[in-house]
Amino acid sequence: MSGFFSPFITKPVSVSQIMLHVLFALIPGIALYVWFYGPAILVSITLASITALGIEALMLKIQHKPVAPYLKDNSALLTAWLLALSIPTLAPWWLVVVGTAFAISISKHLYGGLGNNPFNPAMVGYAVLIISFPAYMTHWLAPQGVGGVSMSFSDQLGYMFQGLLPDGLTLDAVTMATPLDTLKTQLHQHSQIEHILNMPIYGHLAGKGGEWVAGGFLLGGFYLFAKRLISWHLPVAFLGSLFLIAGIFHLFDPAHYAAPLLHLFSGAAMLGAFFILTDPVTSPTTPRGKLIFAAGAALLTYLIRVFGGFPDGIAFATLLMNITVPLLDAWTQPKVFGKKEKRS
Amino acid sequence: MTYQEFKDILYNGVWKQNTGVVQLLGMCPILAVSTSVVNGVSLGLATSVVMALSGAAIAPIRGIVPNEARIPVFILIIAVLVTLIQYLMNAYMYSLYVVLGIFIPLIVTNCIVLARIEAFAAKNPPLQSALDGLAMGLGLTAVLAILGGLREIFGHGTLLSGIDMALGESAKSLVITVVPNYHGFLLAILPPGAFLTLGCLIAGKNWLNLRAEKKLKDAASLEAAFPAAHA
Amino acid sequence: MRRTLAKASFYTAVNLLAFALLGTAILAFTYNQTHERIEQSVEAEKLKLISQIVPQALFDNDVIADTLKITPDPLLGTEDATTAYRARLKGKPSVLVMEAVAPDGYSGKVALLIAIRDNGELAGVRVVSDRETPGLGDYIEIAKSKWILQFNGTSLAKYNGENWQVKKDGGQFDYMAGATISPRAVVKAVHKALQYFAQHQDALFAGTSLGVTP
Repeated sequence: MSGFFSPFITKPVSVSQIMLHVLFALIPGIALYVWFYGPAILVSITLASITALGIEALMLKIQHKPVAPYLKDNSALLTAWLLALSIPTLAPWWLVVVGTAFAISISKHLYGGLGNNPFNPAMVGYAVLIISFPAYMTHWLAPQGVGGVSMSFSDQLGYMFQGLLPDGLTLDAVTMATPLDTLKTQLHQHSQIEHILNMPIYGHLAGKGGEWVAGGFLLGGFYLFAKRLISWHLPVAFLGSLFLIAGIFHLFDPAHYAAPLLHLFSGAAMLGAFFILTDPVTSPTTPRGKLIFAAGAALLTYLIRVFGGFPDGIAFATLLMNITVPLLDAWTQPKVFGKKEKRS
Repeated sequence: MTYQEFKDILYNGVWKQNTGVVQLLGMCPILAVSTSVVNGVSLGLATSVVMALSGAAIAPIRGIVPNEARIPVFILIIAVLVTLIQYLMNAYMYSLYVVLGIFIPLIVTNCIVLARIEAFAAKNPPLQSALDGLAMGLGLTAVLAILGGLREIFGHGTLLSGIDMALGESAKSLVITVVPNYHGFLLAILPPGAFLTLGCLIAGKNWLNLRAEKKLKDAASLEAAFPAAHA
Repeated sequence: MRRTLAKASFYTAVNLLAFALLGTAILAFTYNQTHERIEQSVEAEKLKLISQIVPQALFDNDVIADTLKITPDPLLGTEDATTAYRARLKGKPSVLVMEAVAPDGYSGKVALLIAIRDNGELAGVRVVSDRETPGLGDYIEIAKSKWILQFNGTSLAKYNGENWQVKKDGGQFDYMAGATISPRAVVKAVHKALQYFAQHQDALFAGTSLGVTP
């Protein structure tokens, strides 16, 4: 078989090591996340990791595959971390468990396990949760310094594991719509962008707090790039296309379409560009395929964010583009030198 | 009709050639209507009645219908039967009729009906044809019942909800709450849940088939190894 | 050869015709036998919906037959003429059941059925159709939650203008965290419908049409 295979590595590195580097690259973003929203996210990540490893072991056992070597490849851990980072901070424990279990068992192992799954498992988990439990998927905590009430860590744990809120506190006081969602609903009410961006939840570029977390993921992306674990094609094509599309709309009508940088630093755009779209199993292997794949994902993300009914578009854009991967791979496969192109 | 014939037709329709999980014919209503046991079984039974009646009606007249007019006449008969059922449901089970909506008239276009007419009723006597249609329909109903049951339990935590639409107000007490205070797993009720659950059912059927085959093979090889044991 | 072809075609045509006639006859007969029952079912269903929001004790007339055509009105949010039903007790007007549309739900229009008593109190409100996200905004439907029941008994006299909002905006009406857009739209639409009723109350219970130019 000829063709390109990502990741483009110079010396042989095992899947397990690559995954460790990727997990490591997530740390700056997670650290900033903890700084702005409190340590509850660490609980979600731990819970997701335990569930992922448990379900992975169970599925391997059912299929009579060796458990230990597969578990050690760390891919289940990455799925767990990405899923935990995609869902609201104040998620009840069962939400994390159901999402992770679905991601590992159905979207990974029922399709043949690592290397054979057509869809990004973390994004399938996210999609299942947002379709099944949309109300819980809106419980985003307000970042520190925004909104009157903040929850202590023990209060957060109390909600996550027992569904209890401290006396006198309502969900509405501690959670809020994400900056992207607020933007959409405010535009529905015929507000103008410049007025909306004066609301306290917005910072310099995008949502207060969220923009820093996105910056943390960008930093992690640079680390992956420096380590040559990912090629430039996917992130650059994704972020570039998103910037371009948002820029065109913004130039055309700045009162109703947000600036391109807001789109890059909101929601899961950075996480998606460096950690989700770059999943080697579910993205194309050829450079040209990667460019088309990422640009398509950017277009869909923008359309879903601005005209769709969901708060963010990364997950559905990724899943929809995942479907096109086999086609893109076949279509952009470079011809072997000396062979004439055959037209059918 | 001999007993063996009867058994063969029944086994073929309900299990071996099951419309829902083997032939995979008429997927649209299967996926759309199977949100609950009551909805699934109602459409399944309506389809069974249409299939049994059309088998019985077409088998005796196939001799007098010229070959060129075969398909139009068959479809005409099926359409008449479906419209008949539609009128009756509309009159006597109105709320169920509203729920099943477009899928009742769509039984006409369900390829399984015409497929059995062409494959079976056009070659066999009326009694057998009616039985074949009924068996195929019951196989479909069974799949719809299981699919509807699984989706209802996972989605709402209940079974047989909406039974009052089919059997009247007094049947409301038959609704079973499997999981009280259930959060509701919406995915099961929405269309993706239909695909996932049907996929699991097909996998389950294939697994049972493989297991039966393996048992048969094991028994055969055992017999080959120890022929004396059975002598 | 040609004669046999013509003969065969003729035979086919007659055959088709015979079956078509037979089918039509069977269906005509069934229709005749069932159509009365079907009409009764349709009416019973309508009555069931209306009696959900209009207490049985408040009317003794044939509500389904006592209708009124209403032209589209910005206060009702309607774009086509709608039918209103009038409940009367001992010949006196008691409840009006009319349609209204909340145009600004989270995923588009929410169609409402609103029952208003002659004293301006709401007898009940129901969502007839919407495109809300399942599990999120759809709690405005009676099948999903009791939210819509909080309109019962409210009126323009009971709450003044500012109270006709969800609690988040300083009004009197509950909502669920994470899904405020559609409840907001429904509250606004009901409020406007009450204003419409107050402006046209007398005309609504007289005649058979309002604003409709025949």
